[in-house]
Amino acid sequence: MIHYILQRCAGMIVVMFLVVTIVFVIVRVTPGDPAAVMLGPDATPQDIAQLRARLGLDQSILMQYLFYIGQLLRGDLGQSIFLNMPVGRALIERAEPTFFLTVFSLAIASVIALPIGIYAAYRRGSFVDQASTTLAMLAASIPSFWLGLILIQFFAVRFGMFPVSGYGGPGASFLTRMYHLTLPAVALGLVSSALILRFTRASMLDVLGDDYIRTARAKGLVERRVILKHALKNALIPILTVLGLTAAVLISGAVVTETVFGLPGVGNLVVSAVLRRDYPVIQGALLVIAGLYVLINFAIDMLYLLVDPRVRY
Amino acid sequence: MKIKLALLMAVALALPTYAMAQEKGGVLNVATIGEPPTLDPMTSTADLVGIVTQHIFETLYTFDKKWGVTPLLAESLPEVSADGKVYTIKLRSGIKFHDGSDMTSEDVVASLNRWVKLASRGKQASGFIDSIAAADASTVTIKLKQPYAPLTSLLAFNNSAAIIIPAKKQADTMTEFVGTGPYMLKERKADQYIQLVRFKDYKPRSGESDGYGGARHQYLDEIRFVPVPDANTRVEAAVSGQYDYVDSLPVESFDKLKASKATQPLLLKPFGYPVFVFNTAEGPAKSLEIRKAIRQALNMEDMLAAAFGSKDFYALDGNIYPAPYSWSTDAGVKGNYNVADPEGAAKAAKAAGYDGKPIRILTSRQYEFHYKMAQVAAEYLKAAGFQVDMQVVDWATLTQRRTDKALWDIYITHSPFLPEPALIGSLAPSSPGWWDTPARKTTVDAFSAEADPKKRIALWADVQKAIYADAPFMKIGDFNAVAAVSTKLKGVDPAPWPYFWNASITK
Repeated sequence: MIHYILQRCAGMIVVMFLVVTIVFVIVRVTPGDPAAVMLGPDATPQDIAQLRARLGLDQSILMQYLFYIGQLLRGDLGQSIFLNMPVGRALIERAEPTFFLTVFSLAIASVIALPIGIYAAYRRGSFVDQASTTLAMLAASIPSFWLGLILIQFFAVRFGMFPVSGYGGPGASFLTRMYHLTLPAVALGLVSSALILRFTRASMLDVLGDDYIRTARAKGLVERRVILKHALKNALIPILTVLGLTAAVLISGAVVTETVFGLPGVGNLVVSAVLRRDYPVIQGALLVIAGLYVLINFAIDMLYLLVDPRVRY
Repeated sequence: MKIKLALLMAVALALPTYAMAQEKGGVLNVATIGEPPTLDPMTSTADLVGIVTQHIFETLYTFDKKWGVTPLLAESLPEVSADGKVYTIKLRSGIKFHDGSDMTSEDVVASLNRWVKLASRGKQASGFIDSIAAADASTVTIKLKQPYAPLTSLLAFNNSAAIIIPAKKQADTMTEFVGTGPYMLKERKADQYIQLVRFKDYKPRSGESDGYGGARHQYLDEIRFVPVPDANTRVEAAVSGQYDYVDSLPVESFDKLKASKATQPLLLKPFGYPVFVFNTAEGPAKSLEIRKAIRQALNMEDMLAAAFGSKDFYALDGNIYPAPYSWSTDAGVKGNYNVADPEGAAKAAKAAGYDGKPIRILTSRQYEFHYKMAQVAAEYLKAAGFQVDMQVVDWATLTQRRTDKALWDIYITHSPFLPEPALIGSLAPSSPGWWDTPARKTTVDAFSAEADPKKRIALWADVQKAIYADAPFMKIGDFNAVAAVSTKLKGVDPAPWPYFWNASITK
């Protein structure tokens, strides 16, 4: 077990090193110049060259890379060119809306998808099964930004129940901030629920035909116990995997949804950074996101141990 | 009875004034197109930077309603010596910075030195400036090497701006945002809001408000600039009444805004002009005849219609400045604008020796109207026998690529109508496009050196003639800008860089 954990940690370090290097190279070879963006449309080439020198962008890519690696080894993600603050601080500031958006969306998705998925598998071929499968396909096909705009149109503009965009003004209370997350969380939750529902149904169908389910029923166990204890527990591994991966996608920033709703989250930060070519922010954010992916995958693997005694590392 | 009548008359006279009076207090929420790249307006020419920071920082001069230069931190317009080389600037007294310190000539000299060192427009002026010095605690003298008439306009402009900041806070990278403006920065949460609060020690100019000049009333307690980058969301936010002012909306939203109870559209007519800039240094467009053939092929009306839809939002106009700008002239326009003659253009291109090399049009969908105009232009150019290579990139890539002479032949941009023609970037030979001909030098230099406003108008006509003769860039037409204003918001006039120090909210 310890040997497995050490092996996984070593693998994670290699993955992170590759991520750092690949992101650094891609960012530098992509056309575009943060100095030109910062100075605006009427800046002269001389102004741009001077600012590039001030930012250290006139150095060779190799020198910039070595400098960046040195920074990372000191635990420093660098300084944002545009935000006038360390990248680490910018990410921490953006973590709150993204974290709660992830939690709310996952909660909404789970509340919808798990019971319906279980019931659809249990009553395979029924109206509920067919309707839920069709609706899940529909939800999976809807872009979250489109759904977001529709929700805005109805619940913010027509009924005035929710704000159209933003995350609350200065001094906004926790509840106000969460209130601003309602519509984006519903949009993301509905779209995410489709995948979770389909996995839940498929996974439940797999186990419902197994011998131990027939045995449990033969023993005279009540149906609820058979489904929720025996079947669901064994169907959980793929469901956990898809929940974990959905969480990872959401934590890494529901890029489009955050932009549509004007939420100051990680996704919005990354989009702005890419448009402005804020190299340190792009590099830092992608490094942290990749790190989260790696950790979530690791955590899922560890969770398998809890839900399935057959799994051994 | 007479007393009663007099009292009634007094009340009747006072009533309209009371009804018209703007209320003090309240918070204004402004939705902007995004987060400004910096809050230091010296170091950026981006409009968004100017819009936000003009409330925090002030310049010696600014512009009135008619785009004339008017004093702001200066007591009056500068005294200019007879030879046009010495500008004596008297400063207003009792002006305080947001940190409580008093503004003196020492601060102004330090700030202007930072401006000529860091700001694009300051560098443009620096070649003409011999020295900047304090004559006494409230007087600054700028000595020039040669007469340079655009100086006061450059000192008045709100981006790449000659803002006055404390002498002790002149670091190249600004970390403390201390100005003299009617509002001071309280908090900036990037991509969330920029919160400005009323500066209680602000000393407004006396008299009436006049455009960006005159009295600044500070009716509002707070102004919050909130980035809403998605244009559709901005429209919905305006219709729902979430924001009091929503900037830069698609023209298609006009009718929707008009039907709203919470907000109304605000049309700035005209706002600016789209421009096709030629690469006069390398490639096929280096040839003047080919540039003229390209211009001959294009139908500006179709391009504007594709980009802006209704004629309510654009105007066919070849004058670089439209009426009522005093700079408006039709010099050089006739026969050179909206010719829409692809067949004639094909013959002209052949005569000019066009060898079939693709014309590389560099454009971006960041501004959808640029892309739509490029599409129409490409069809007209193809009809004239040109090969066209549309290079659609994001704005950051465009701003980088346009600096490389080898990468493009035409790039598309736009500009608001700048109050002083000398501020137009493409007139400088260093600007991408690299227009550098004897005609440019003669006409632009004469225009820049002349101080007499009437003579300058005539000299600008010569510059416009040279623009049409040399074809370094093509103006496509005039276009209008749409914003949305809450029905509760008073005191906001249409402006290319909207300002809110005279705005108030009706409770």
